[in-house]
Amino acid sequence: MLKLVKLELTKYPLKWYGVSAIIANLSIIILITLVSYFEPDSEIVFKNVEEALVVLSSFLRATFVILAAVLIAKLIIEEYKNKTISVLFTYPINRKKMFGVKLLLIALLTFIALFASNLFSAGVFLLINSYLQIVPGTVNQAFLLHQVLSILTFSIATAGTGLIPLYFGLRKHSMPATILSSLLIVAFTSAHNPSFSLASIVYIPLALAIVGVMIASWAIRNVDKVDLT
Amino acid sequence: MEYTITTRGLSKAYQGKEVISNVNMNVRKGEIYGFLGPNGAGKTTIMKMLTTLVKPTAGDIHLFNELLTASSYEVLGRIGSIIEYPIFYEKMTARQNLELHREYMGYHNKQAVQEALDLVQLRGIDHKPVKEFSLGMKQRLGIARAILTKPELLILDEPINGLDPQGIKDFRSLFQILSREYGITLLISTHLLGEIEQIADTIGVISGGRLLEEVSMDNIRGQNTEFMELVTSEQSRAAVLINHQMGISNYKVLHDNIVRIYDDKINQKDLFKALAENNIDIQSINKKVMSLEEYFLDLVQRDSKMNEGA
Repeated sequence: MLKLVKLELTKYPLKWYGVSAIIANLSIIILITLVSYFEPDSEIVFKNVEEALVVLSSFLRATFVILAAVLIAKLIIEEYKNKTISVLFTYPINRKKMFGVKLLLIALLTFIALFASNLFSAGVFLLINSYLQIVPGTVNQAFLLHQVLSILTFSIATAGTGLIPLYFGLRKHSMPATILSSLLIVAFTSAHNPSFSLASIVYIPLALAIVGVMIASWAIRNVDKVDLT
Repeated sequence: MEYTITTRGLSKAYQGKEVISNVNMNVRKGEIYGFLGPNGAGKTTIMKMLTTLVKPTAGDIHLFNELLTASSYEVLGRIGSIIEYPIFYEKMTARQNLELHREYMGYHNKQAVQEALDLVQLRGIDHKPVKEFSLGMKQRLGIARAILTKPELLILDEPINGLDPQGIKDFRSLFQILSREYGITLLISTHLLGEIEQIADTIGVISGGRLLEEVSMDNIRGQNTEFMELVTSEQSRAAVLINHQMGISNYKVLHDNIVRIYDDKINQKDLFKALAENNIDIQSINKKVMSLEEYFLDLVQRDSKMNEGA
């Protein structure tokens, strides 16, 4: 199992993923801070710290759903497109396991990266806010605990949601379709305005996560049945 | 007799259209089996079925005397293959690709990578990604990968494609070494008989998804493929003479003023005499041997004619 993960990482080094994650974190922190700092009177600004964190998290989730789609495109769809899958499937290794490892890697990476990023970005924002007092709101232990739990739940849900593009990618082995479908998911799950926010409802990504996991298990079950022509 | 591959009633249909029909193939252990047929005859599809990349719609396959199923993974560790064309992770170097293969196959001998590269004579490629390789180089690397783990069975789909004449020669002797010295069974597909004629032990001829014939090369070589070729401007008169006067029915009138006589009872002198006495024009009379290429081509053509008629 670990060996298969190692081999996947040899084939597809993930430096770009780390770099993208760092850039995303920094850009989102800067964006949220600047918006609240320079436009204190406009309507788009957050009414309290909690709302600012909801938006910050939803940006990060959007980023990592798209990155998950890129991972699916690279680790799975590209193998079909370049036909390297027909080399991979001539190895004496259970194909379901090989395929499952890829999906597990993608979901785990999404979860860990998102969870860490969200903790980091939210922490940095709260720190900046405690000095500059840009957005009103009290931060106490209970608030922090609530935030961490919410980030954890959302991260798990997002890791599952991120698998949905697999379905669209596998249909025609299309990398653009994979990534495009992730954009649609993001547009839906990260929608937010002050009066009504889909982004703050955890049940949406949780429901999508179930769909994602169902798609993943469907794909794994099918991997032995499909002809590679 | 021990067989490495046997198929019985092997068939494959796509959307109801049969592309492989009732193939009964027998590849003996340790032999070189030439899989001969025109492009699109079904060679690749059969090879994909042998490696479980494509699932048969009917019939069954036995590899090493064991029934092959969709989840026969272990047996794949005993096979090296190139199917369709050599496919690699293009951004990686040749060595990285071979290392990856070695790891996936669970083969522990690390020297095997260098040995395989040496066997196919790929040199000076250490820092080059595979995408910069020519087809010939990829073909060599494909063979290197297939033989790296010293498999018991090699399935090679048109391995000689894209090689220069020297490369073809090198590969032929490599295949012979693999078969004779390492006892590896080789299944090699090609659309040109000339490529494997000298090294194959058995030839399976496939056309239109059906295995037309499976013959041992020793048998073919022993068969009477000699004939006399007469070139004359009076083909029909000559034919009448040969048929009625000389009582020979085994002859064929071809285009370009050629008449071929397959009967071995007649000699050149008698034919010449008979034609001259009847005042039939003779441009040349030669004794010839039908090449195996012609023999197989004939087989495939007769088959396609039969199919057209049907």
